[in-house]
Amino acid sequence: MSDLSNPNYKLNNSELWGGLVGLALGIFVIWSSFRLKIGTIHDPGSGYVLFYTGILMCLFAATIIVAAVTEGGPTFASRWEGTRWTRPVALIAFLIVYCFALEPLGFLLSSIPLMLLLLRAIDPVRWPLAIPLAVLAPLGVWWVLKRILLIQLPAGIFEVG
Amino acid sequence: MDTILNVMHGFSIALLPVNLLYCFIGVFIGTLVGVLPGIGPISAMSLLLPVTLSGTPESGIIMMAGIYYGSMYGGSTTSILVNIPGEAASVVTCIDGHQMAKQGRAGPALGISALGSFIAGTFSLVALMLVAPSLASVAIAFGPAEYFSLMVLGLVVLTFLTQGSMAKALLMACIGVVLGLIGLDAITAQPRLTFGRLELIDGIGLVPVVMGLFGLAEVLTNTEQVLKRDIINAKITQLLPNKADWKASAGPIGRGTLLGFFLGILPGGGAVVASFASYALEKRLSKTPERFGHGAIEGVAGPESANNAAAGGAFIPLMTLGIPPNVVMALLLGAFVIHGLQPGPLLITQNPGLFWGIVASMYIGNVMLLVLNLPLIGMWVQLLKLPYNILFPLIILFTIIGVYCSSNNVFDVYVMVAFGVIGYFMRKFGYEPAPLVLAFVLGPMLENNLRKSLILSQGDLLTFMQRPISAACLLLAAVLLIGPLLPSLRKKREIVALDEGA
Repeated sequence: MSDLSNPNYKLNNSELWGGLVGLALGIFVIWSSFRLKIGTIHDPGSGYVLFYTGILMCLFAATIIVAAVTEGGPTFASRWEGTRWTRPVALIAFLIVYCFALEPLGFLLSSIPLMLLLLRAIDPVRWPLAIPLAVLAPLGVWWVLKRILLIQLPAGIFEVG
Repeated sequence: MDTILNVMHGFSIALLPVNLLYCFIGVFIGTLVGVLPGIGPISAMSLLLPVTLSGTPESGIIMMAGIYYGSMYGGSTTSILVNIPGEAASVVTCIDGHQMAKQGRAGPALGISALGSFIAGTFSLVALMLVAPSLASVAIAFGPAEYFSLMVLGLVVLTFLTQGSMAKALLMACIGVVLGLIGLDAITAQPRLTFGRLELIDGIGLVPVVMGLFGLAEVLTNTEQVLKRDIINAKITQLLPNKADWKASAGPIGRGTLLGFFLGILPGGGAVVASFASYALEKRLSKTPERFGHGAIEGVAGPESANNAAAGGAFIPLMTLGIPPNVVMALLLGAFVIHGLQPGPLLITQNPGLFWGIVASMYIGNVMLLVLNLPLIGMWVQLLKLPYNILFPLIILFTIIGVYCSSNNVFDVYVMVAFGVIGYFMRKFGYEPAPLVLAFVLGPMLENNLRKSLILSQGDLLTFMQRPISAACLLLAAVLLIGPLLPSLRKKREIVALDEGA
């Protein structure tokens, strides 16, 4: 990354935040292991391995934090420097909407619009190619799965598919 | 004599029409995903994992294995012709392979790559046949302490070889273990980290995790970059290398094969390490190292042989110990488990047809790959011209379908999307997904063996040091953990560090 010379204690040091997320996860794992019963070395309980894994997580996260504080690290912005970051953001948004639509609308009614969006909104493909591809690909997959492999995809409230 | 009889029995299974068909589908898809940048063998295998359910265990596993070694062949085509590695093990082939193509020698580069791969693949299969049964008979004596220590060693080697910070790789491995333990405790049947969700009682599925972290995250990363393709458009003629090419390549092929095979066996190692190590070795041994990087055929022959030999070697720990040495083998373990089979020391004696059938099919697959990769090279070149903006929506659609079909559950699609987003941010922040996935697979086995060892030894931790194999594994793991603190070892690690998951 480009700006490793950043002041170490800056809050936009992404390495520091990465370590803090790891530390929080480690603490959560330790807390969960207590609730599950750790047991003893003679009779390890359900939380035994989780407890020690949580401790290791905290240890490794602390190492990352110490390195971030002493050596500095790239800022959040520099991680996306020179990239077309709006594309993955849009893609993630489409997929989240798709997740909410998949069960109520069914596979076909949700996948065809998703394909059209992916083909047109991220890195646009010409309409004459995008429309047939967006319709035929999900339809073809649905047909193969339903008719040949006998796998039922979600049909949704409209029972399409 | 026994081995010959077993091989013949294996061929009688591998040559069944249905198994030949699955083998062809596997190597074809393997070559396809190897050729196409942006989708690798891990994504393809996890996508097709549910498909293996429809046939016999032999057919399914023959197909999955075919995808793996097929991708090793296909990856070199993209590296040589486009200067973009089709998959991670072909990264190093770009250096000299593409230079050869620019000098009008794409044919010999592709030829030596395919022929070297064939020789290495065949050698590794013969070695697999000879080594696996002997190792399996030794492994029967392994207890939970040995298994635990071997798994710890595998995870530590992988984190040692992972690109970037070792602390990050170790943190990822720990997260993988925790994710692997979600669901009912195998001993007490107590639900762990399920947050009251019924879908999590059986744990998180391997397919959505792998498809998210490798398939979807790869697409997200690729969409933000401009993929520049410098395709060699000249007609490819004379695929067979000449006498001088063979003379220069014979040594690298031999050394790459041996090196790759042994690196493939090591837990945590694999095709990527092997290809890099072979390139470094050839450059060091060469009388004219300055030719490397400017179209030296040795820089293609060595790494390509090494990665194929490693692909064969990696089957040994899985088949004989039941321990997957890398993520691809972890997926293959998933295919075994789907069919109710447990790879390990008893697999060869209890299911000889399965083991020898898979080995024999790999011979056949190697021959198929030679045909697919040499005479049909023109077809793969055409495929390289498929634009990524058409390819990635299709990859996403097939990813969704693959995940849904693995469990017939929409919840797994949510899990896949969540891991895709997590995987994207992990890559951005320099956290490699490979240690997480291997630890996710090994986590439940690791816990089970640790708890068994402690119960059997009545809480005596020295049990891990009193058994020679266990002690050796733990000592080696400790050396690798402490090693990077020493500046000289840290430098060496940075040289061999790799992106296993790409």
